[in-house]
Amino acid sequence: MLLTTSVGSLPKPDYLVKARSQARKGGVDPAELKRLEEQSTRDWVARQEELGLDILVDGEQYRGDMVAYFAEQLDGFKPSRLVRSYGNRYYRKPIIVSKIRRRQPITVDWWRFAQALTTRPVKGMLTGPYTIMDWSFNEYYPSRRATALAVAEIIHGEARDLERAGAQYIQIDEPAISTRLDEIELAIEALGVVTKGLRAKTITHICYGNFQALSPKLNALPVDQIDLEFANRKFELLEAFKHLRLRKEVGLGVVDVHSHRIESREEVVANLKKALKVFKPEQIYVDPDCGLKTRTPEEALGKLRAVVEATRAVREELLN
Amino acid sequence: MITTVVGSFPKVAEAGFGTTIISAISRWQRKELPDAGLERVFQDITKAVMAEYEKAGLDLLADAQIRWEDLVTPLAKQLDGFEINGLERWCDNNVYYRRPILRKAPARRGPILAEEYRAAKACTSKPMKAVLPGPYTFVQMCEDRYYKNPARFMRKIAELLRDEAAALVEAGAPLVQFDEPALGFGKPPLKGVLEALAIATKGLKVPTALYLYFGHLNGLLSPLQKAPVDLIGVDVVSDPKAMGAVTKTRWTKQLALGCVDARNTKLESVTELHALFDVVTKRVPSDRLSVNPSCGLEFLPYEQAVQKVNRLVEAVQTYKRG
Ligand SMILES: [Zn+2]
Repeated sequence: MLLTTSVGSLPKPDYLVKARSQARKGGVDPAELKRLEEQSTRDWVARQEELGLDILVDGEQYRGDMVAYFAEQLDGFKPSRLVRSYGNRYYRKPIIVSKIRRRQPITVDWWRFAQALTTRPVKGMLTGPYTIMDWSFNEYYPSRRATALAVAEIIHGEARDLERAGAQYIQIDEPAISTRLDEIELAIEALGVVTKGLRAKTITHICYGNFQALSPKLNALPVDQIDLEFANRKFELLEAFKHLRLRKEVGLGVVDVHSHRIESREEVVANLKKALKVFKPEQIYVDPDCGLKTRTPEEALGKLRAVVEATRAVREELLN
Repeated sequence: MITTVVGSFPKVAEAGFGTTIISAISRWQRKELPDAGLERVFQDITKAVMAEYEKAGLDLLADAQIRWEDLVTPLAKQLDGFEINGLERWCDNNVYYRRPILRKAPARRGPILAEEYRAAKACTSKPMKAVLPGPYTFVQMCEDRYYKNPARFMRKIAELLRDEAAALVEAGAPLVQFDEPALGFGKPPLKGVLEALAIATKGLKVPTALYLYFGHLNGLLSPLQKAPVDLIGVDVVSDPKAMGAVTKTRWTKQLALGCVDARNTKLESVTELHALFDVVTKRVPSDRLSVNPSCGLEFLPYEQAVQKVNRLVEAVQTYKRG
C-alpha cells in the first residue's frame, strides 16, 4: 500500500540541455546525443532506486514537448512553425496532413533500456489521444472525433507493444481533457480505445483544469488509476472526494512542481494523513503533482525525497 | 462587402520578419534592453504586419496587437487596482494568460492604447479600427476581490473602457470594436451585458462593433440585435450551429462574418467561402456585410496566418466580380 512513484518527466542535466540545443542546429552527432540521453537515463534510474521509489520512470530525457515527441515519429504529421502558448513562450504545434500511421514502436526501446537497469517496475509513458488531437492542427480528418479516434488506435498499438515488452504500468497523460467539458464523452471514448483489452495497470494523469466540472466523470474514465495534482491546490481537492466516491486508485500529487520550495517531510505526512481520511490506503499511490522537468535536478531530488520519506513514515504508522 | 481582421497576428515569423521579439522581451525582462529598444522591435513587427495586410488587399486593418500578451492584460496592468497573477487557460484554447486580480477600486490614469494605436496607424494609409475587450469578457477573465459583485465590477469596467474608447477615437479610430469571447461560454447575464455595452459605447462619435468568437452562440444573436452597437461579428467556424443561427436571425445590425478558421491551419477553398457568402447575403445585404477570420490570427503560425488573409481577400474579390 501507498506505493511511491513520479509522474513522468525528470529534469535534464545541463550537459544534455546543451547537447539537445546544439543538435537542433546540427552541431551534435545523433549517436553522441543518444549516448548522453542514455547516460542521464541511467543516472535517473539509479537516483530513483537510491531514493527508494517503488515504481520508476525513465525520466523522458529524450523527449521535448509531450505531443511533438509522438507527432515527430508518426506518419501523417508535419512539423509546424512556432505558435505562442502564453507570455513570451512559444511551441511548435504539429499539423496532421494525412492518415496517421505508426511505422514502428515509439517508446518501447527506451522503456526496455530503463527496465533493464532495475528490478523495480518502470512505467510506460504515453500521451493520450484527446490531448494529441487538441494540441495539433488538423487538415486531414473530417472532425475532432475522427481525429481523436484515429490517434487512439495508434496509442493503443503502442500500449500493446509496451505491455508485450513487459510493462506492468502504462500511464496515458491527458492534460487537455479538462479543456472542453462538452467533449468529455469524446475524451472518454478515445481513452477507452487506448486501454481496451490491456492487462497492465492503466493510469491517466490530468492537470491544469476545471476540476469541479470534471469530477462527476472521473469514475467513467476507462483506466485503473487517476493521477491528480493535490499539492498546488493546497489539498482543497480532497473536499470534492468527500462527496464523490472514487471507485479507482488515485495518484496523489503531494509536492508542487511549480514551486522551488522543497516541501518538508512533516508537511507531506500531514497532507497524506488528510488524504487517508478520504481514500483507503490501498487506493493511494503517492507522487509529485506533475512532471518535474521544469525543476532543477536538485529540486527534483529534494521533492522526490520528501515524497518517499513522508510515505514511509505514514506506512510505518499504519502498520504499527 | 469589406474585408477585415479580428485583431491579433503572430508575433514571430520564422519565414518572415523573424523571431527577434522572443529574445528582445527576455532581454528587456532582464533589464538588458531599454524600453525604447523593445518598442522599436514591436514597431518594426507592426510595420511588417501592416505591409502584409496592405499587400493582401485588406480593406479595414487592426493593429495586430504585437505588444499584447492577451486581450485583457494590456489594460489590466496599466489600470490602478489590478495585480497580474497566475496562469489560466484562455477560453477553450491550449493558450494561457495571467489572470488579473482586482484588489482596489479600478482607476484609469490616462489613455493606455492611444499611443500604440497612433504608432500602428502611421504604418499604413488604410483605415484602422481600434480593438478593446468588451466589459463582460474583461470581468470574466479577472478575479474580483474588491467589489465581490460582478455587476458592479462590470459597470465600472465599462466606464473605464468608454474613456479608453474615446481616447482611441480621438487618436483617429473610425470604428471601435469590443471583443466578447466570454459570451460563448456558460450563461451570460444578458441584461447586465447589454447595460454594460451601453455604458462602454455611450457618446462615442464613431460606429461600434461587438465581436463574438469561440464557444457557442447560445441563442444570443437575436437578443443582441438590441445591443447599442452598429455591427456584430460572429464566428461561424467554432460553433457548428452558428450558420443556422445567423440565417434565422432578423438582422438589424451590420454583420461581420468570421468565416475563415483562425485556429486551424487547413485552408478554406474559395468555393466553400462563396457558398457561405451566398447564404448570408440572402439575410444581410452585402453593403452591410464584412468578412474576417473567425478570431485573432495569433493561434496560427505566421505562414498560415498570411495564407488565411490572402484567401479571405481573394474570395471576396472574386465574389464581387461574380
Ligand atoms: Zn501534469
